[in-house]
Amino acid sequence: MTWKLAFMLIVIIGGVLTGLAPLFLFTDFRAELGIGTMLLGIFFGILILLSAGVPIGFASGVLGAIVIWLNFGLPGLGLVMIRVSDLTSTASLVAIPFFILMASLLERSGIAQDVFDALSHLLRRARGGVAVATAFLAVILASMSGIIGGEIVLLGLVALPQLLRLGYDKHLAIGTICAGGSLGAIIPPSIVIIIYGLIADTSIIKLFTALIVPGFMLAGSYVAYIIIRTQLNTTLAPLPTYSAEDRSEIDKELWGDLLILLSPFATGAVGAVVANKLGAGAVEQTATFVFSSTFAMLGIIAWLRTRQTNPVARGLLPLLLIIDLVLGSIYGGVTTISEAAAMGVVASLIVIFLRRELEVVTIMGALEQMFRSVGAILWVTFGATVLAGAFTLSGGAQYVSTAILDLNAPPTVVILMMLLVFFILGLFIDWIGIILMTMPVFLPIVLQLGYDPIWFGVLFCVSMQIAFLTPPFGSAAFYLKSVAPPDIDLVTIYRSFGPFILLQIAILTVLVAFPEISLFLVR
Amino acid sequence: MQNLTPPYGNKTTIVDPIVGIFSSFAMLLILIGVSITLYEIVMRYIFESATSWVYKTTLWIAAVTYLVSGIFAMQQREHIRVTVIYDAVSPTLRLIFDYLALYVLIVYATLMLVGSADQVWVIFSHAVKTGTISSLPFGPTIKPLVLLATVAVVIVSINNFLLDHLNIGRSNNSISPDNSTE
Repeated sequence: MTWKLAFMLIVIIGGVLTGLAPLFLFTDFRAELGIGTMLLGIFFGILILLSAGVPIGFASGVLGAIVIWLNFGLPGLGLVMIRVSDLTSTASLVAIPFFILMASLLERSGIAQDVFDALSHLLRRARGGVAVATAFLAVILASMSGIIGGEIVLLGLVALPQLLRLGYDKHLAIGTICAGGSLGAIIPPSIVIIIYGLIADTSIIKLFTALIVPGFMLAGSYVAYIIIRTQLNTTLAPLPTYSAEDRSEIDKELWGDLLILLSPFATGAVGAVVANKLGAGAVEQTATFVFSSTFAMLGIIAWLRTRQTNPVARGLLPLLLIIDLVLGSIYGGVTTISEAAAMGVVASLIVIFLRRELEVVTIMGALEQMFRSVGAILWVTFGATVLAGAFTLSGGAQYVSTAILDLNAPPTVVILMMLLVFFILGLFIDWIGIILMTMPVFLPIVLQLGYDPIWFGVLFCVSMQIAFLTPPFGSAAFYLKSVAPPDIDLVTIYRSFGPFILLQIAILTVLVAFPEISLFLVR
Repeated sequence: MQNLTPPYGNKTTIVDPIVGIFSSFAMLLILIGVSITLYEIVMRYIFESATSWVYKTTLWIAAVTYLVSGIFAMQQREHIRVTVIYDAVSPTLRLIFDYLALYVLIVYATLMLVGSADQVWVIFSHAVKTGTISSLPFGPTIKPLVLLATVAVVIVSINNFLLDHLNIGRSNNSISPDNSTE
């Protein structure tokens, strides 16, 4: 006890003295280090610190500060503060707390449960239907949420018990949930993309657009896999028997549901036409469409709430509203990404209020969850921006890219090597650490080779989908484990991922081979 | 992020509730940010008079959110780290790793302090001379906050060390850490 305390005090004083060293000891000190030595130092430094469980943000921050000090002396150290304070005043980062708050609010409402009930009821007659419903729910949730943790937990709570109860193969159920839940990081809006766009200094909206097709390719491949697999092996998804007269009230209301779901868009279209006649510009017309359809949906949600009919429309509308409002505003150029995210927060609050679920506890819980995630994500970014700045300014990035370009390897091989690095790092480190540590080196190379950084961003996101699932430390497994029944262990969970990882690798290959798939929408 | 790390104890010191109260207030700031952003959109599309203060204020609120949330994340042991080896080793080695983490954090904070003292001093002396910091542009005012937040993270980190390894602190069963949903 006492020696622990004494040692702690020594560590604290030692840390302060080390930090003060530039001030007193070698005020004119400059280490004439070769770049190679410096790179080795950074590499082994980060390796040792990360293995010892030092938080990534502080490990990279301290290494960055030391590199700056060794290269530029005491005056250079001011750069640490400049890098961090510049990052805090970056406009595109504002969207991150807003999007995370929106997702946390929606997670705390019963909306996802309603959607799942509606979808699984619709698809209950098809073999594998409930698994397909889970995949659809995953895509819908992904287009509202930018981080994967909450989405997998939510799917695990909502869909897993139902799938297991209906006798679905547990590997199929788990794989669907985790692979589907990981889509949150690739289908816009995604926090991964926002951070990548920031580092790569490319348009985030273009990245969002470029990811539409790859995101739906992944989702489509999961659905196709579920259908084919359950057709080939019917024991994986038993089909409940229904009598001929089993046509519930819900089925009779389906046409009404369709009408209800389409009517807001008709309202929006009418609004846009009116705006057009009044001589409004293209952006104003889109704005009119988005806002009038949103208000129509709000009205219908309130109306359905009192009537207690049409559960399918009632379940789907809140999500449709948020997707329409947020993604419509972003893609239509109506607002900036952060403004769209703020509207998403307000819309979620209103929807939750209309569902009579708005409580102080809900809001505070969502705020707290947002706070935890934002703190964790942003402070890694702080440290990494210091290291990235040090690395670039002292010529490290230049050195590595020249070295790699001098190899004269075929460009495709270089890209494949980078993806391999993502894959290996993905076994151990979170996506945010990977972006911040590799991109300062990789992006100059990608640009030198003449590739589009947007395409590379797409490849990165798909690689991260694989990283979320690969053992031994794929984060998706841990998220699901935290809510799965106790008899489902980590080995079972990882074993379920196999086919889905193969699908992801196949799609990644297609995307590497045909850049146009990602880029044709942004041209 | 990973659920592998052992759950931290149920002891607290005076630092934990202070961080909690401070964070609760800072959390509400983001709701103000959401509200004024909505106000800006309404002003722009309905009244066609875009404001300029909303953008700056939202940026400032967001910056404060990032900074305070880092302190909160430290108190909740939520900062992203690789726990692969940490979880596998003996308690003694874990203690050494935690010493290392504390050392690294303190060096980082001190280096930042040493490097930015002059930048931050400019703000303070300006504030003392004019009696206000509101006349300054957004960028410089955030620097003292970055420094304060980093020092606060160090303090919370020392506090965590005291709680986790030295068993210092009051038993408090009413605070049950919620690690389940992240």
